[in-house]
Amino acid sequence: MSGLDKFSEKMTRRVARATSRRSLLTLIGGALTGAAVIPVLPVSRAQAQGHGHGGDPVAPQTTGNPQDPGDQTQCDYWRYCAIDGFLCSCCGGTASSCPPGTEMSPITWIGTCLNPADNRSYIVSYNDCCGKSSCGRCLCNRNERDRPMVRPQANNDINWCLGTSSAIYNCSTAVILGVALEQQ
Amino acid sequence: MARVYRMATFAMLLLSAGAAGAADFPQPLPEEPVSTVTELPERYPDSWVFVHDLHFNSLPDGRAAIVDVGAENNNLRGQIPVAQFGNILPSTTRGEIYVGETFYSRLTRGERTDVITIWDTKTLAPKDEIVLPGGKRGLFVTLRNSLQLTNDEKWALVFNFTPGSSVTVVDLDGRKILSDIDLPGCSLVYPTGPRGFTSLCADGTMTSIALDATGKAGPAVTSEAFNTIDDDPLFMTPAMVGRTGWFVSFKGNLRAIDFAGAAARDLGGFAIPKQAGGEPEWRPGGWQVISADRAGLLYILMNPKGIEGSHKDGGTEAWVVDPKAKTVVRRIALKNHSVSIEATQQEKPLLVASRSDGSLDVYDAASGAFVRTVASVAHDPMTMTAAR
Repeated sequence: MSGLDKFSEKMTRRVARATSRRSLLTLIGGALTGAAVIPVLPVSRAQAQGHGHGGDPVAPQTTGNPQDPGDQTQCDYWRYCAIDGFLCSCCGGTASSCPPGTEMSPITWIGTCLNPADNRSYIVSYNDCCGKSSCGRCLCNRNERDRPMVRPQANNDINWCLGTSSAIYNCSTAVILGVALEQQ
Repeated sequence: MARVYRMATFAMLLLSAGAAGAADFPQPLPEEPVSTVTELPERYPDSWVFVHDLHFNSLPDGRAAIVDVGAENNNLRGQIPVAQFGNILPSTTRGEIYVGETFYSRLTRGERTDVITIWDTKTLAPKDEIVLPGGKRGLFVTLRNSLQLTNDEKWALVFNFTPGSSVTVVDLDGRKILSDIDLPGCSLVYPTGPRGFTSLCADGTMTSIALDATGKAGPAVTSEAFNTIDDDPLFMTPAMVGRTGWFVSFKGNLRAIDFAGAAARDLGGFAIPKQAGGEPEWRPGGWQVISADRAGLLYILMNPKGIEGSHKDGGTEAWVVDPKAKTVVRRIALKNHSVSIEATQQEKPLLVASRSDGSLDVYDAASGAFVRTVASVAHDPMTMTAAR
């Protein structure tokens, strides 16, 4: 990881933590309502057939950690509450790492998702993986609190392969940046 | 043995059928020349629509289909490559189609080149290109207002996103770059006045910039805030009625912006009158959710399951709104769940609704009657632009 990458990662975490409590609560509200979303989605035919399954009959993948529950190949996995794209878990990567030979974008958008196992809200960074063409598996698009291009930091239609050596989009991760709120 | 007999009978049938055919047609079909390539008319009929295919499963291989939605058959008339989150922009006066696109020298890696590729409307062959400097052309799911024309179609405006925002002004006659204009906090380009543009900004305002004769930016004029982005943001693509852009919001409020003068003016708006049948409520939904016909009627793609986050879910009805009377004059029940809509600019307009399976459903806009389906014209038909 280059010095620049480290800097932007630090900035992302700092900005994420500094986000106001009110807006975090709003985001959590979005995440909660998102749990039952059925993605009838404009981006691809795969999505229209998806019904929350990312469109493809991919064999389930769990972490094995009861504190990180769910199937990472499915749109309804808790970390994906504001994701848009192919799930890297289906593409040779994991929910938090890029497939081999791709490059993780240092610039990204974030969401706040509730982990149903420990009931904590986590700040999740949706870093895109770049440098190889569209993965094509497990397309997922959830739009709670998504805002149009006029507000880029809250928009998931943007190709976030920015600051990478190639802007070609492959898939999206959902990396835990930290806990969003102290639990009451 | 029985099988051999059956085959012999079949062969005799074939022979006799062949003999009868030749008798009916004494002359064989003429020989045909090879290397024949179809051409299109220089000016496209107003039943034609440019359908942009994002091709999400292979983004470097995006394309656009040119579709005659008014014809009984032979609907797909040609295709144009539109690479990597590209944009397609037909000129109405120059006999050219402009495509903003991005290439890498090794397809997915190597040197990045952003260009406006210029296609001839008649031959659909590439005529020329203008290289865009800086590798900064904005890459996102296609929005028509990331590439627009101004100055009587002599100049193109390219929206850049790095994530810093800027606009590149391109001289299409001279095939050269005129200027780069920083646009901190604002997005996309809406041609404004004789020579200039407006952008929508993250604080809910809009900023208009008039350009001088050399393409340099004059002073920026910023409006009062009118776009309530947190609560009820406007979709980014307006329906144009003359120089008035009709925007619709996530919750179904319409807003008119006048782009005729040197600075854009907010003309105010109204809520689409509430209609029955929503669970919990009707809201606009899809990608390109609003369009206008020549008479100035608005068509809005509506989703009965409107909630926060449903804004890209597509819709099941198109509502025809008369902005003068502020009424819903008709509700068109769509045969299929649809992603985007576009009205043709014909005297008797057709309404085109694109489906997530890449087919187009075509309706008579005046009656709402279903006319035809044009199957499989694209992978991901996100934006459509009717010929004008």
